[in-house]
Amino acid sequence: MKANIAFGVLALLVAWGLAASAGLVDSFFLPGSLETFQELGDLLAGGEIGDDIALTLGRIAAAFSIAAAIGLPAGLALGMQPSLFERLEFLVDFFRSIPATALFPLFLLVFGISDSSKIAVAAFSSALIILFNTAYGVRHAKKARLQAARLMGANRRQLTSIIFWESLPQTLVGMRTAVSLSIIVIVVTEMFIGTSAGIGRLIVDFQYVYNVPGMYAAIFLAGVIGYLANLAFALLEKRVVHWAGR
Amino acid sequence: MRDAIAVRGLHKSYGEMGVLGRIDLKVAPGEIVALFGPNGCGKTTLMDILAGLVKQEKGSVAVEGRDAFACSYLTQNYRDSLLPWLRVRGNLGFPLRLRGHTKGQVADAVQAIADLSPVRLNLDAYPYQLSGGQQQILAFLRALITKPSILLLDEPFSALDYENTLAMRTLLQRYWQEHRPAVLAITHDIEEAVHVASRILILSRKPSRIVRVVRNPSPYPRPPSFLASAGFKKAKDNALSAFLAGVSL
Repeated sequence: MKANIAFGVLALLVAWGLAASAGLVDSFFLPGSLETFQELGDLLAGGEIGDDIALTLGRIAAAFSIAAAIGLPAGLALGMQPSLFERLEFLVDFFRSIPATALFPLFLLVFGISDSSKIAVAAFSSALIILFNTAYGVRHAKKARLQAARLMGANRRQLTSIIFWESLPQTLVGMRTAVSLSIIVIVVTEMFIGTSAGIGRLIVDFQYVYNVPGMYAAIFLAGVIGYLANLAFALLEKRVVHWAGR
Repeated sequence: MRDAIAVRGLHKSYGEMGVLGRIDLKVAPGEIVALFGPNGCGKTTLMDILAGLVKQEKGSVAVEGRDAFACSYLTQNYRDSLLPWLRVRGNLGFPLRLRGHTKGQVADAVQAIADLSPVRLNLDAYPYQLSGGQQQILAFLRALITKPSILLLDEPFSALDYENTLAMRTLLQRYWQEHRPAVLAITHDIEEAVHVASRILILSRKPSRIVRVVRNPSPYPRPPSFLASAGFKKAKDNALSAFLAGVSL
């Protein structure tokens, strides 16, 4: 796996270097990788963007936590009641299909230009993903397993615990997707709703002043956060639901 | 003494298709009975009804102690009945944990039941790390751990090789001699039926009925060497004749 990652990074750097040095792209729009990483190093070493990173991470963590706190129990409850799930499936699917960006004005009206609106819109869209995946996992729980537990005398609480474990692989898929969506929505809202600090704000600010290497450095940071969050969930899945599908 | 299992005039159909015609069946406490019949004749449906998973249309079913979970059912779908997130140890002790036994009691019972097994199971492995046969043994041992008064077994050794099948039949008899549960076992193997059961019920094609009852009074325990005895051959011939007559081959 490490070799694959190294290969991917190397391929990106080579392609980037070739495109820049061969003049395939205007160097103003695509500065060299060395220049970009030097800018990133300076920004990090100078401590100028520490607050931006911390604020963005804080907003992502808040949005994702709220989404999980709502989506998980609601998904479990919905999945365990097939008739209710069937009645609400359309609504969940419909709201899930609305682009989060289309909801910015509504959340701005409700929460105002503040962190709350950014967190709320990210939490809303992520919660639906977690809810749907959890409910789906519950609905597809193996009946033989539940039957066996019932025959052994499992009570309602014990059956719920089995259903929770059964749904966990799909729930984690939902959480992985949701954390990526939270990052996207938070960065986009920082760019367009307006904030004093944040990685999204950095990207826009650097663009305004034509600091293109700085802009790429901030985009790269957002990518790193997304990748690491995804990696954390992939590792969690490997550790917690190693038994899934076997 | 009340019958462990008493079924009277049982009917079951799926849509227009009759599966169980009219089943009358009794299993006494401490008796081992085998159900033998052609594919698709409703043996598993009958077991599901006895376990309370499926409702009958007509007739009465009484399974002593079922509501108090004194009845263990090893289904054909043993693989899906195991909990993949628990290790072998956790799966074996799961029925006891559900009943609120302490950790120490569960650990002792798990060790005791694992020691009974002729096939060594790695208690720290996960079910997916076991072979199909070992998974079936795990499900079988889990069915025994609660010391049920009734055991319903649906092809309990179908995934095992011959050596392990013989070993598990011996284990079943050893366990039965110690705890005396009533056992009703579905099998597709006439040798298995004759080896372990004192009564073999032959089912017809569907809508199925019990068309023959073969008595097999050979004393227990019946070690593997029993399979080479004249008593076994005679009982097997009787069972085979009854089967051929019963299903009109």
